[in-house]
Amino acid sequence: MAREDYFKWAESVLDPSKTFEKPEALADIKIVELCTLILGPSLPAYLSELGATVFKVELPGMGDTMRSLTPFAKFFNGAAMGWLKEARNKYHLAIDVRVEEGAELFKELVKRSDVVVENLRAGTMDKWGIGYRQLREINPRIIYIALNGFGQWGPYLERPSYDAIAQSESGEAWISGFPDKLPMKAGIWLADYYGGLVGAVGVLAALAHRDRTGRGQYIEYSQAENLMRAMDWTWLYQHFTGKCRERYGNRDVSICPADIVPSKDGEMVAIGAATDKQFQGLCQAMGKPEWAQDPRFATHLERLKEENAVELLEAIRNWAATKTYAELDQLASQHGFGAQKVSNGKDHFEDEHLRKRNFTYYVDDPIYGELYEEGIAPKLSETPGRIKWAGKPVGFDNEYVLKRYLGLKTKKIKYLKEKNIIGKWVDVPPGRKPPERWDGKSGLLLA
Amino acid sequence: MHMEKEKSWGDWIRELDDPAKTREKPEALDHITVLDVSYANMAGCFCTSTLAEFGANVIRIEPPDGDPARTFTPWGYMHMGTGLGYLNEGRNKHHVTLNLESEEGQEIFRKLARRADVVVETFLPGTMDAWGIGYRQLKELNPRLIYCALYTYGQFGPKAACGKADVDVVDQAYSGVVSVSGEPPEDPQNPKSSEVPTKQGNWMGWYAGGAWAAVAILAALHYRVQSGKGQFIDVSPAEAYGRCINYGITYYYGFKATIPRVGNYDVGVFPYTYFKCKDGFAFLSGFADPNWKALCTIINRPDLQQQFPTIFERLNVDNMKVMYKEIEKWTMAHTYDEIFDAVMDYNKNIGQGVVVPGRISSPMDTMKAENWWVRMALEKIDDPHYGEVTIANHAHKMTETPPRVKWICRPVGADNYYVYAKMLGYGSKRLEELKEKGII
Repeated sequence: MAREDYFKWAESVLDPSKTFEKPEALADIKIVELCTLILGPSLPAYLSELGATVFKVELPGMGDTMRSLTPFAKFFNGAAMGWLKEARNKYHLAIDVRVEEGAELFKELVKRSDVVVENLRAGTMDKWGIGYRQLREINPRIIYIALNGFGQWGPYLERPSYDAIAQSESGEAWISGFPDKLPMKAGIWLADYYGGLVGAVGVLAALAHRDRTGRGQYIEYSQAENLMRAMDWTWLYQHFTGKCRERYGNRDVSICPADIVPSKDGEMVAIGAATDKQFQGLCQAMGKPEWAQDPRFATHLERLKEENAVELLEAIRNWAATKTYAELDQLASQHGFGAQKVSNGKDHFEDEHLRKRNFTYYVDDPIYGELYEEGIAPKLSETPGRIKWAGKPVGFDNEYVLKRYLGLKTKKIKYLKEKNIIGKWVDVPPGRKPPERWDGKSGLLLA
Repeated sequence: MHMEKEKSWGDWIRELDDPAKTREKPEALDHITVLDVSYANMAGCFCTSTLAEFGANVIRIEPPDGDPARTFTPWGYMHMGTGLGYLNEGRNKHHVTLNLESEEGQEIFRKLARRADVVVETFLPGTMDAWGIGYRQLKELNPRLIYCALYTYGQFGPKAACGKADVDVVDQAYSGVVSVSGEPPEDPQNPKSSEVPTKQGNWMGWYAGGAWAAVAILAALHYRVQSGKGQFIDVSPAEAYGRCINYGITYYYGFKATIPRVGNYDVGVFPYTYFKCKDGFAFLSGFADPNWKALCTIINRPDLQQQFPTIFERLNVDNMKVMYKEIEKWTMAHTYDEIFDAVMDYNKNIGQGVVVPGRISSPMDTMKAENWWVRMALEKIDDPHYGEVTIANHAHKMTETPPRVKWICRPVGADNYYVYAKMLGYGSKRLEELKEKGII
């Protein structure tokens, strides 16, 4: 009864349907983003979900290269799906920061902001006169983060990089996948998304420092180094044993049992037990309660030994093949071990649990229409995360932002447009302009 | 000032953010006290490691016989009684024991929580609540408390009460990432057991969960500065990792199809993959039209550019296989260094479009590459208890408050005397009593 009461309480304080009745954690924070692709843009997107105001600055016309990036070249209502998810909640500006008047506009934005996020090649912003060296003079409170492949100095300074290179040069690809296959690149831009995420930790730590001291700072950030930090026991193992960490497929060689095996009805199911108690539950479910006392399996350290692990995992594989996923799921609930089928976009879309939790998030966007996307990760009781809109075409919010935040006169805005300092989208390549069905008005903040 | 402006950007910023100077600088979170009651869960441990690396005072609370996570280690390899996965995430934390199932242990926890800023826990939902030390109870004692609970299925929703265990492999499976990772069968009639949805080799679900928890906690901390209010935070490592998906749900909603597994290809970018070369594997890219032209120029295959001129041809999986084979003919004829030099030479001297080269490195090769040591991404530290160890640092190099590792871990209960004396004034006699009763 107590537990039922707990879930009722938890739902009442976290209820996503009350999100817009509550304040936002970062409502007082403004971020200027000068980024392309995912590593840079994901960071402000994450913080925008927690309430930060984000000015995404692109070059007029083509804008962010990411606007081209979509699976099988299929666009969703005119938007590239690779771009769409991290475009959420942002004001989309197009300013040519490479020319002096554009750089001045950028500086005016930074003067009124708290955070700058950029992911250009090392030194590019400095060359343009809008790097940290210049910006800290006009705003000493600014927190400036530069994200890229290998950092701002060091032996790899000259090297361009991408997500896949961070995955491969860190060693992450080498330790992923099956021994009889090539090292595996994740099916997502792992170093980018996870890079932006841990980058955000640095920004918020800097904010905590600024909240106490009033001082801003510069954060240099390499996505390859970030993945190395996430490779758990790799470095200690190599340090102590002198052996290289290899790849072991879906089996976790440091937690036993933990593997992904097929069920009777053809699902791939992750099965795991991380404690003796969970393992005892699994033994019960398998009809082998005596295994919990078997010297080969009774303790985790025994289970981890190669010969014992191989035997145990084989037995689990054979057992799981006789059960449907529904049966495995029910047994896992009853006996307290872990079991979860490998889920895909369809599963997430249909999952009532994930919908209820605002992970599978519904957006009714004034420009791109109704859509669902991977939504909010952490649920906060006082300041819940949210998506307000999905994204905007290149330069869509120029007039609004320049007027509301910089106070520019209409005449000045017109002049900047005529001189191509600011601008809007081009029609080709796709992904820059509003969708075909756009009515010419919806979503415009100041025409 | 004048001299300063003349420095190159790299030299100028290195002087300010070089991690070699970290220990001269203050810490961002040294005003924050965190209680970590993670149990058999590295998402919680990584979250609080991160906070501790940024300076927080983290009190790691284990049951009297230690957290089962101390045995998460490859093939059972132990270093001085602690497994390597846990050893790596004991960073900067004070380790105490406390039996939270006993009433006296709960009372001690309440006293600690009264003065803490943050609690992190990973029990099945409702466990702490049933012990009378959940957020519902603690917030009455400490309204400024930020309380973060991590669990695969979260604290509410139809599956929250399912009772299934949170294990990294489960988080990875539920996240959606596994469904799009790994090799498709070469022969669909006879798929190999290695041609299945595949997880990352590391605890990626748990690390993503811990990272999102740290972001949420720090955002809540900022909110508390102005409002004075704490809050309750619910993080599912599966959702945290799932937030890193390129486009799963939108693609299904828009096209009623799921993104297939394509091995090391990318359904949204080609070429952008690993190729075999004479002495290993090289990464090459060339997606946007000018970059594709650049790659075709470097490998002297203008015919390929003519055959696959736009992204619409290049994002067809059948075409990808054709292009892959043709590009691989060139890479197979060269060593990695030759490929790297040819590409970088083009980028520097011709520079129309950019091709990005890289190497697939085993983690042993990574550990041998000078770059990571110069940048202190990897560092050998001399732990007072565990001796010399190699660790990866957090990637942030910061001019004011960089993260750092002071010690790697502590044995079970090693800091009982220090922490209980400092926080609660308990002396040796009291601790002996508690020990006898099995509370610590």
